[in-house]
Amino acid sequence: MLPYILLSPLVVFIGALSFVPTVDTAVEAFFRISTLDPPTRFTGLGNFRALFASSAIITSWVNTAAYVVIGVVLSVVLGTVIALALKQRFRFRGVILALVILPWALPSVVEAVVWSWIYDPTFGVMNSALHSAHLIGGYHVWLGLDRWLTIGLIEIVQVWQITPLSALVILAALQSIPVELYEAARVDGAGVVQAFWRISLPMIRPALAVCTVEALVLSLNIFDQVYILNGIAPLGSSVMLQTYVTTFEDLNFGGGYALSLLMTVATAVLSMAALALLYRRPEAA
Amino acid sequence: MRYPGIVSKRAAAVALSAGLVTLAAACGSSGGSSTAASSSTSSGGGSSSSSSITVAVAYPAPPAALLDQFTKQTGIKVNWVNIGWDNLQTKIAAAMSANTYFADVADVDWSKVGEYQKTGWFEPLNQDFSVASLEPDMPQLKTFISNGQLVGMPFDSSFLVTTVNKKDFAKAGITTMPTTLTAFTADLKKVGKANGMSSPLDIQFATAEGLSTCWYQMTAAFGGSVLTTQDTPAFTSPSSPGYKAMTWMVDAYKSGLVPAGNINTTDYQGFTTEMAKNRVAAAMCDYSGTVASIYNVPSSSSVVNDVEYIPTPGATGAGGNVANPDGIGIPKTAKNVAGAVKFIQWFTQTEEQADWAGLNGASDVVSTFPLPARLTSFNLMIKAGDIEQAAPLDAILKAHAQPPFPNGAPPWYTQFSAAVQTNIHEAAAGQETIPQAVSAIAAQVSQLSAAG
Repeated sequence: MLPYILLSPLVVFIGALSFVPTVDTAVEAFFRISTLDPPTRFTGLGNFRALFASSAIITSWVNTAAYVVIGVVLSVVLGTVIALALKQRFRFRGVILALVILPWALPSVVEAVVWSWIYDPTFGVMNSALHSAHLIGGYHVWLGLDRWLTIGLIEIVQVWQITPLSALVILAALQSIPVELYEAARVDGAGVVQAFWRISLPMIRPALAVCTVEALVLSLNIFDQVYILNGIAPLGSSVMLQTYVTTFEDLNFGGGYALSLLMTVATAVLSMAALALLYRRPEAA
Repeated sequence: MRYPGIVSKRAAAVALSAGLVTLAAACGSSGGSSTAASSSTSSGGGSSSSSSITVAVAYPAPPAALLDQFTKQTGIKVNWVNIGWDNLQTKIAAAMSANTYFADVADVDWSKVGEYQKTGWFEPLNQDFSVASLEPDMPQLKTFISNGQLVGMPFDSSFLVTTVNKKDFAKAGITTMPTTLTAFTADLKKVGKANGMSSPLDIQFATAEGLSTCWYQMTAAFGGSVLTTQDTPAFTSPSSPGYKAMTWMVDAYKSGLVPAGNINTTDYQGFTTEMAKNRVAAAMCDYSGTVASIYNVPSSSSVVNDVEYIPTPGATGAGGNVANPDGIGIPKTAKNVAGAVKFIQWFTQTEEQADWAGLNGASDVVSTFPLPARLTSFNLMIKAGDIEQAAPLDAILKAHAQPPFPNGAPPWYTQFSAAVQTNIHEAAAGQETIPQAVSAIAAQVSQLSAAG
């Protein structure tokens, strides 16, 4: 009885703040709820049909797919590289470790504002640095003109934020690998690259799975960076941004619920697929 | 491991209590909101049930001493919350949809009046403010009436204007300001060359309300309006003012007359970082009052005394100027309706209005406040010589200021504006052509009109 009683605050908390809203969203996604067009009425799949007939929504799904691919690949690869570097013993390692964590500790809104100044076409550091290095002839407008460039630059901001956590998780996994394994491999004639592919990578696979899911979930739900750096322009719009626009700009709450439900399902399915694909216990690797 | 029984019981009791408290808190919050909602239905004329009110607007607070005066007079303490305009609209929509308390007094923009009346998100103010007696003194009061309901009270008389840096123009040998858009475009090219500015004109192209408003303003400059009196599109024909205005704006951007970086610049950013820093020589959709509140402020401007208002250049002569007054109202979930009414009465009365705009010196000014909502306040200031460039503003206000829509802002204005700003932005960014942008906006209007 005691365990259940001890768990009860958490159950109530999660139930009230997570389960109830989720069920509510799932149910109301099938209703037409618009403050400008009352009353609320059942519409079946009407909200979903309307969403898929909207070019802005379709564009946002494609954009979000791009955010996910860039975010997952870059954050996991960079996280691994940083973790491998931090695994080595060197002077000021602790200081560098603290600095690496910093972007993860900052709110995403603050980071997006900082990067908006970096990308600024008139005063931005990016133009200034690239121009000083003679890599560009004149100052460029980085955001808002080219779709894929805009998406890439916005996702870099998110990668900058989520990579530190990936690096820490992977570093912890790397440090838990017994040194004897590397020593045995060295005796058998394995080089650094072989040791990484044959020992490190299989052993850190669970950590890579966790980092992949983390990057996947955050990239699927990207909002702050897109909103601050590119407004509600469809060019770089994400599904979460479109959910906001549908709900609070269009005041179409039923449509917003439907889009939220689709995103929840997509997040759950993709996360489970990533875990099924990547998560292997070291013994099984 | 077993725990002693007494510890188990205590732990269980604490855990159970925590669970119940959490549950009670969850239930309590919803109960709270319904209480707030029901209290809003009470008349605003009664005595204050609480000694404080929260005012949420897109404006900096008046000086603390003035708010203290209000507190002394009424016993009501004011908690002033300044939120950016676009964010504020979202917060109002979210809170009102959820039927939760947001503020006792909140922003009622001219563009939201139809929407708020239809949704019932704001209390009608007709009982507390006499429209008939206020109207002669508040020319923009009508903008805040929808279906006979006074949804908000105007607290400024903002309208869009054209500003030029006369020093930059003089450097190009231009001392007589252009009155047509053709002459204005030609002059800007000369000004750019003479001052080493590659892009001398500020028009914002970020997907924000400022871009929509600028299109209405440019359409007025071309002599029309974007919607008809039946709220149908008036901009689909290439010969219509709306179509011409969009073409002119996008051409101005694509030809380099407007800085390329403006694709992500909002109106306020443009005024403060471009016009005030002399990176451009003119602003097409500027606000009445920016000369005093931004350009002539030495700490943040390098163009002090150089900028002036001019009649907006139009197709064949001076064009129209779109009025976009700000208002305040009482959300339906307000907790202190009586206090809110007292505050609105105080905030919009003649002397205070003149005070906010600088009648009694800089110490009483509300930063970025454009012009008073009341003509009596405006006249007080003209008499005292306190309105910078009063003559051109007075002339523009009386001769050219007009509402953006002939039938008032439609209830579906928010969706309409979102379509306007995204499609013009896309056209400027080269993602759409002008006909595509026009068709997309027109399709949205048809859909919204059909839905009612």
